[in-house]
Amino acid sequence: MTTIARLTHAELRKLMASRTFLIGLALSAALAVISVAVNAAVAGKNGTPALGTTASTDKMLKLGSVCCVAMLVLGIIASGSEYRHKTIIPAVLVAPRRGGLITAKVIGIAVAGVVLSTPTFGLGLATVIAELSAHHIHHLPADTGTLFAGSVIAGTMFGMIGVALGYITRSTIAAIVGAVGWVLFAELAILHTLAPHLAKWLVTGAASTLTDPGALASRALTPATAVPPQEQERRQCTIRNQERSGPFTRRWHAGSADRPPFC
Amino acid sequence: MLNVDHLTKRYGPVAAVGGLSFEVGPGRVTGFLGPNGAGKTTTLRMLLGLAAPTSGTATINGVRYRDLRDPVRTVGAALDNDNFHPGRTAAEHLKIMATAAGISRRRPAQVLDMVGLTEAARRRVGGFSLGMRQRLTLAAALLGDPGVLILDEPLNGLDPDGIRWMRDLLRQLAGEGRTVLVSSHLLAEAAQTVQDVVVITRGRLAAEGSVAELTAATSTTRIRTPDTELLMSVLARQQITARLLAPGTVEARGADPDRVARIAAAASVVVLELTRHTENLEELFFDLTSDHTNDRALEVSPS
Repeated sequence: MTTIARLTHAELRKLMASRTFLIGLALSAALAVISVAVNAAVAGKNGTPALGTTASTDKMLKLGSVCCVAMLVLGIIASGSEYRHKTIIPAVLVAPRRGGLITAKVIGIAVAGVVLSTPTFGLGLATVIAELSAHHIHHLPADTGTLFAGSVIAGTMFGMIGVALGYITRSTIAAIVGAVGWVLFAELAILHTLAPHLAKWLVTGAASTLTDPGALASRALTPATAVPPQEQERRQCTIRNQERSGPFTRRWHAGSADRPPFC
Repeated sequence: MLNVDHLTKRYGPVAAVGGLSFEVGPGRVTGFLGPNGAGKTTTLRMLLGLAAPTSGTATINGVRYRDLRDPVRTVGAALDNDNFHPGRTAAEHLKIMATAAGISRRRPAQVLDMVGLTEAARRRVGGFSLGMRQRLTLAAALLGDPGVLILDEPLNGLDPDGIRWMRDLLRQLAGEGRTVLVSSHLLAEAAQTVQDVVVITRGRLAAEGSVAELTAATSTTRIRTPDTELLMSVLARQQITARLLAPGTVEARGADPDRVARIAAAASVVVLELTRHTENLEELFFDLTSDHTNDRALEVSPS
């Protein structure tokens, strides 16, 4: 076994040996289920899209942010607690060249990202299917699989950002408060509202591209919007045409008014 | 074999360690002594690659720590007794280290047994006493069955039974041919544990050698006599340093009692009592670091 493989194995052992990861996994899965249940409960009320419409289902499937925030916090804890509890000293004594340690930590948190994001999105998706089935609706948007993969990738990437923040900040608590505050308040609440043309370049903008069904369809938040409008229109047409022929849309109600006309 | 050669560490204008050189050989327990702020921990950190020296080298078997092919199997180090995640059990802590170092899965249980923590293997470290943490720190150092052990204050927090156990274990490990370097401020305890000492003060070497050699070199002869002035003058003529220790008592340095007795007899000096005074490790330490009275007061334990 190579040094990196051994160190990565040790990193995974560290994650499983403390309760933090398991608590994080349980919390994010619970949040995903609660988020879907709340969205389903308020669907069709106070001007929100009715249950079964693409807009409503898309809203319920916006689970990526749960994965991202959970992994951001876990990433910060994974690296920050090494300094907080001074476990970095035995770690460095085992692997004196720190490049290997950091690489193993990043790989470890990436694996943890997949392990956390998959059941989180999976449980959320199962709840969406259950809610829709209860209302005799048996279809899902064509890009559900892409959203699933996007949420896992975004969660993993946020975990890596968390690891970097944990290493460069002195206080784990301050790093968590600062990072979560930045993501949820500064970026999502302020920048996305006041300066959306800037927000797309930030981490939440990148994450939205992967986890937001609306952004996924229009690529509205990606830097790729810099391409000419005609090219954008062509891409959207391609996406919609793909949706029309996708396996999940075969049983789509013919009269669905919320779905835009195909190109 | 540990080799420190002209090791210097500067923090801005302050030299924590300045041109320190010493060697620690195998088969003996070596005490690394010095007042607070003498540079002991900084030196150990440089030996273990945790701090970069400003100049000089610190090597283990001729190789810098970061260049060791298999550090955990070469050097067992215990720098602090709170390098543990409080939420992990003792067994988990050692298993994580063993996994990272590629050590057998059975080894953690073996070292826990060696340090007497088998019963506590599945308990979270957060609930451990200071003595238990000290034992776990030693278990981690022994994980790779290394030939070199570097232990920072291993006697801290141990009860008398624990101190005796640690003393026996360190001697046993050294007896197996390992190199054992132990820093300690518990001089009375260290005196019973170590065979060699390296004493540093203000980042510089104050003394190096076996405890027996160093104490013998600093031994004195005390003479109780009514003719103190006459005795001091005849000793001075023989190039022997002498001083009036108390009224009626002269202390001669650098001459054994036999020689002093002959010189006194030749000069017809009345001698009432002649004794050899050998310093213990604590007195030796005070002598070597005597210009650091304030530091010393903080350093020496009540014991």
